[in-house]
Amino acid sequence: MKKLPLEGIRVADLTMMWAGPFATRILAEMGAEVIKIESPRAWDNIRTLIPQPGVEEPWNSSFYFNDYNRDKKSLTLDLAQEPGKQTFLRLVAKCDVVIENYRADVLDNLGLGYEVLREARPDIILVSMAGYGKTGPERDQVGFGPIIEQMSGLASLTGYGDDGIPMKTGLSYGDPVAGKAAAAAVALALIQRRKTGEGAFIDLAQREVMSTLIGEAFVAASLRGEEPKHRGNRDDRYFAQGVYRVAGEDQWLAVTLRTPGQWNDLAHHFGLDPDLGGLEGAALLDEVDRRLGEWLKDKDPQWALEALAGRAIPAGRVLNTVDIHNDPHLEAREFWVELPHPRMPAWKQPRSAWNLREAMAAPRRHAPLFGEHNDEILRGLLGLTGEELAALAAAEVISGAPVNPGIG
Amino acid sequence: MSDPVLSGVRVLEVGGGISVAFAAKWLAGFGADVVRVDPEEEMLTADEQVYLLAGKRRAGPEADAARLALAADIVIEGDDPGDVVKHLRRVQPEALRAAKPEIVVVSITPYGQDGPYAGYDATNITSFAMGGIMSLTGMPQREPLVTGGSQALYLGGLNGFGAALTAYLGRLVHGEGDWVDISLQECMAGMLELYGPGGAISGVPSVRSGNHVRAAWGIYPCADGFAGVCALERQISALFECVGDPELQEPRFRDITLRAENDDELQAKFYGWFAERTKQEILDLGAKYKVPFGAVMTPLDLLANQSLLERGFFDAIQTPGGTAMTPGRPFLGLPWVPGELHAPGADTRAVLDDWLGVRA
Repeated sequence: MKKLPLEGIRVADLTMMWAGPFATRILAEMGAEVIKIESPRAWDNIRTLIPQPGVEEPWNSSFYFNDYNRDKKSLTLDLAQEPGKQTFLRLVAKCDVVIENYRADVLDNLGLGYEVLREARPDIILVSMAGYGKTGPERDQVGFGPIIEQMSGLASLTGYGDDGIPMKTGLSYGDPVAGKAAAAAVALALIQRRKTGEGAFIDLAQREVMSTLIGEAFVAASLRGEEPKHRGNRDDRYFAQGVYRVAGEDQWLAVTLRTPGQWNDLAHHFGLDPDLGGLEGAALLDEVDRRLGEWLKDKDPQWALEALAGRAIPAGRVLNTVDIHNDPHLEAREFWVELPHPRMPAWKQPRSAWNLREAMAAPRRHAPLFGEHNDEILRGLLGLTGEELAALAAAEVISGAPVNPGIG
Repeated sequence: MSDPVLSGVRVLEVGGGISVAFAAKWLAGFGADVVRVDPEEEMLTADEQVYLLAGKRRAGPEADAARLALAADIVIEGDDPGDVVKHLRRVQPEALRAAKPEIVVVSITPYGQDGPYAGYDATNITSFAMGGIMSLTGMPQREPLVTGGSQALYLGGLNGFGAALTAYLGRLVHGEGDWVDISLQECMAGMLELYGPGGAISGVPSVRSGNHVRAAWGIYPCADGFAGVCALERQISALFECVGDPELQEPRFRDITLRAENDDELQAKFYGWFAERTKQEILDLGAKYKVPFGAVMTPLDLLANQSLLERGFFDAIQTPGGTAMTPGRPFLGLPWVPGELHAPGADTRAVLDDWLGVRA
C-alpha cells in the first residue's frame, strides 16, 4: 500500500471555527497525525454554533464540528494555566507543525509565540492564520470569512449589475480559501525543512490569500484605474451566458454559449428561433436570455444538463445543498463518504479535493469526542503519570467535557 | 535570506487556462523553474496574463510537451480527460507516472478524470453552479448569482498548488510521486460550510440569504459605500455596546431566540446605524470594540491600504502598458521571488537546452 504524503508528520492544532480546522482536515486526510487542542474553558465555538436544545452532550453531536474535524485526535488543555502551557510545550517538542487561527495577538499573549515554541522544538513550523496577518495597522481587527471577503476586494466585484449593490458569497468564503492555502503552506515549509533542517514561521493573512483569487482586478485597477463592474451572470469573453429557471422547486441551470455558432447549433437542434435580427450588445443578450429562459422553464434540470452536454455546450445545474449529495457524477467518483459516528447517524461527507489517484487519500475516522485522546496523548506520547493526569484534571487543565457548555 | 524553497524544482505547465496558470504561478513565486507551454490560441485575457504568467518561462506551442514533461519534477496540466480525446492530450499522465516514478502530475479539469461528466465542457459559471456555492449566493427572490472574478477556476489553481506541494513532499519523503486528479466541482462541493453537511443530514436545501444571513451577519449601505458585520453570539454584547442604542439591551434583542424573531427590527436599526458612518469609522470601531466589522473594499482601495503596503503584499510587474501592481506572495515566512513577464514562446530554445540538452 502506497504511503500517504504526510505520514509521520504530527500537527498540534490550535485552530477553531472553519478556516483553520478546514486546513487541518486536509492535513489529516493527507496522512498527518493531527491533535486538536481545546481548552475546557475556551473550546471550538463551532461545537455549539447551531443550538441543539435538549440534546445530551451537544458539543459532541454537532454536524458542523464533526464534518470539519474528522480524522483528528482531541486533547483538552487550558493554555491559560501554567501547567497547561508546560504540557503543551512538551507536546510541541514532539510535533512538526503548530497551527493556529487566533486573532493576531492571542498566541503571544498566551506566552506561546514562535520564539517560545522554538525553544521547545528548534525546527518547529508555526502557521498563524490571523485575518489580517501578524503585523500591520489592521492586525488587531477581528476577521471572519464573510468579513474577509469584503476586505479583500472580492465582494466589490460581485453583484447583479442592475442595482449597484455588492453581494456576498453565500457562505463564509474567506475561510476555506485561507484553509487550503494554509495546508499548502505546511507542505511548503516541510519541503524547506527537509532541504535545510530549518523550521519556519508562516504569517498567513486570510484577507491577502482571498485577494490573490482576483489578481486580474488589481492589474486593471493599477494600470487603468478601473473600478469594479458588476456583471451579474454574464461574461464578456463569451457570446452569451446566463442562469435560467428549469422545472422543479428553485431549480436553475447555468449556460455558456461560447460563440454565435453555439447559439445557432442550440437553436436549430432544439427548435428555437435562431434569428436574432440585427440585435447587438445588451439587447442581444437580453433576447438570448428570454428565448433560453422560455425554452428551459419546463425542462427537467438533469435532462437539460445532459442534452446541452451532448451538443458540447457548457451547462451546469445550480446544485443545491441536497441535490449535490445525490449527483450521479460525484457518486460515481465516490466523492461522498459515510463514516459511523458514536453520537450521530452517518451522513455523506466529502473526501478531499486533493484526489491522489495512487495513494488514495480518504477520510478514515469520525471526528473525536471532546478530550477523547487525552489519555493516549498525555500518558502514551508524553509519558505523564496517573498522578500528573489527576492533578491536571483537578485543576480543569484537562477535561472530558467543557467546563462551561454554552452557546458559541 | 536563504534560497527559495523550490529552487531547482522543474515545473511544466500545460493547458493554458486560469486553473493551471494559478497553480503554477505560486510554484514559480516560491522559486521553481516553471515553463509554460503556451497554447495555440491564448485563453487568458491580457490582465490575466500579467497576473498569472509573470515569473514563468514561456515555450511556444510547438514545443514537445511530452518530452519536456519527462524532464520535469511536477507537471500541472489541464487538458481534457477521457479516452475519446486521448490523442489530443499533450501529456499522458499514466505514461508519465509509469516512466518516471518520482514525478508528480497534477491534472486540473472541471469534473476530474473519470465519471459520467468527465468529458463535459465547462466554464467558470457552470463549474461554480455544479459545485453548490452558487445555490447559496444571490437574493432569494432572484436567480442565483455567480461570485465575481473566476472563482471556480481559481479554486482549481489553489487546490492544484497545495496538492502539488503535498505530493512532491511525499515524493521527497517516500520516494514516489503521484497523479493528483483535481475536479473543480469537488473543490467547491467539499467547502459548503455548515450548509453542506446540513443538507446531507436534513434533506432540506439551504436557501440564498442575499446579503443578510441575519441582522448581525450581513452587508449594509454606509455613508461612503458598503460595510458589514459578522458577529458570533459571544460578540453580540460588544456589538450592541458599540452601536449604543439602549433598546438593544432589551430581552427581545439580547436573548438569542427572541432576537431571531425580531431580526427584521434589528436589521432596520443596523441600516440606520451604518448609514451614518463611513467605512473607516466602522472599521475603527471594530478594532476598538473587538467586533468583526468589515467594509467592501475595491482593488483601488486596497492598492492604497496601509496594512498591505507595510506587509509588502504587492508585486510590481512591468508591462507594455506600465507597471502593474498585483497580489504577491500568499503568505509571509518563506522567500518569494516576484517574476518578470516573458513574451509568448520567448524561452523555447533556452528551455530545450536546459531541460533536454537540445542545442538549436
